[in-house]
Amino acid sequence: MDEERFDEEEESEINLTPMLDVVFIMLIFFIVTAVFVKSPGVSVTEPSAVTAQTPGGGSIFVAITSQDQVWIDGHKHPLPAVRGEIERLKAENPESGIVIQSDENAHNSTLLHVMDAAKAAGINDITIAAKLK
Amino acid sequence: MRKHLSSIKQEEDENEINLTPMLDVVFIMLIFFIVTSTFIRAKGISAQRPDQSQQQQVVQNKKGAILVIIDNSDRIWIDGLVIDQRAVRPNIVRLASEEANRPLVVQVDSQSSTNTLVDVMDAARQAGVTNISIVAGTS
Repeated sequence: MDEERFDEEEESEINLTPMLDVVFIMLIFFIVTAVFVKSPGVSVTEPSAVTAQTPGGGSIFVAITSQDQVWIDGHKHPLPAVRGEIERLKAENPESGIVIQSDENAHNSTLLHVMDAAKAAGINDITIAAKLK
Repeated sequence: MRKHLSSIKQEEDENEINLTPMLDVVFIMLIFFIVTSTFIRAKGISAQRPDQSQQQQVVQNKKGAILVIIDNSDRIWIDGLVIDQRAVRPNIVRLASEEANRPLVVQVDSQSSTNTLVDVMDAARQAGVTNISIVAGTS
């Protein structure tokens, strides 16, 4: 009789193990996929392209405004400082590619300068941002 | 008898590890990562930038590559002719069909705009040319 009672109490407890498993898997998924994107801090009008596609692993974002100002990580940077800034971000995330969000009216000299800075920092995966037409 | 049972139960309770605080922490971490996760939605066109030393080689060795020039007033030149923006794609298709896997070299003037460059790159990719290099103009 006593034993029966004991059994009943055990069964009335909810088994949390499966839920814990699910929660842990979700947690690991979100930790692994978490990329802390440092947005450039300025919005630009990207050119549009039909063949635009999602870049592989880009989490360094550089924006070039229509006035040819270069913005990285929420700050405006003069052209000579761009390379150092990209190198700093690359050190934080060595596998990362770069996405250059260039305004459609920006001059290509600035774009080429940023691309050269990225190359000098050792990044070969360069993407020019474009919105899907 | 009853007393005996309760003492057994108490012992069992103490033996079990209390998971509630860990669950709290795990849930808070889970919520933090869900909230801070930003899935990158940026789209774009991948580009290659040859090294300074390779650039001269790339431009001079026109035979293998399709050369498209964008000048300082955003005009597009192919084969020595100014091409309308809408005609770029058929021209690249024609040149690409001459030889398989031809790379494309876009020589851009520093005063040209990104819009024209992306247009040319887009046209090339629609024409099936994906190996696109960007070099600076000499003007």
